Amino acid sequence: MKRTLIHLNSGPYSSLACKEGLDLALVLATFEQPIDLCLSGAALSILTREQNPISEQGKNLHKLLDGLEFYDIENIFIEKDNNWTDKKNSWQGVTPLDKAQWQTMFSNYQQIFRF
Amino acid sequence: MQYTLLITGSPYQSKACHTALRFIKAATSKYPNCIKGVFFYEDAVLIGNQTAQPPRDEINIVKAWQEVAKQHDVPLYLCIAAAVRRGIISESESHRYELGQHTLAEQFQLEGLGTLVDLMNTTNKVIQFR
Repeated sequence: MKRTLIHLNSGPYSSLACKEGLDLALVLATFEQPIDLCLSGAALSILTREQNPISEQGKNLHKLLDGLEFYDIENIFIEKDNNWTDKKNSWQGVTPLDKAQWQTMFSNYQQIFRF
Repeated sequence: MQYTLLITGSPYQSKACHTALRFIKAATSKYPNCIKGVFFYEDAVLIGNQTAQPPRDEINIVKAWQEVAKQHDVPLYLCIAAAVRRGIISESESHRYELGQHTLAEQFQLEGLGTLVDLMNTTNKVIQFR
């Protein structure tokens, strides 16, 4: 079975890309496809706690994070040194990778989709 | 070798649909049956809008896809959730939402993401255009 990585790189409130990327991840997991996530750039802001977006801003995607394990999505990778996440105020279910690990990670998947 | 094309870039904000069209033409000219299906997701679903009227001196990208699909018998799938939220409505969805009109262009069909999963598992490679 092909291993799939969904790479989220868009901000959760700037477009629907992040949400639709997560939707695809959940559907793939529902169909029992091996699926991991990685977050970079503006998508890292999903991890910030205590988000209260109003309806014009979009859905609160942070709320989905705790449910990922029920879909057997257990690997959510981020790059260790990034300017977006504040450790104290971030969701802790991620696996931080150093630069070399981050670059190698992309070779571990048969297919990668970016949103 | 059979491919699935996953197109996520808007036909108006990116060249994803145009580049994929060039790819499909080049690929099928050499290997006629190499594309099993094309799945449009995110803003790429806007390609299935039958009411779009581009200026006459520009490419009609919707028509161009319809012709390629017909010529090579390639199914064109639009993610149903992404399409409906953007107003690309088939006749059956227009009944469901009690609308008096539908906007889905011929040759395109609305399908769930499960169809994409099926394509992924039955073709050698998926190529994303974004």
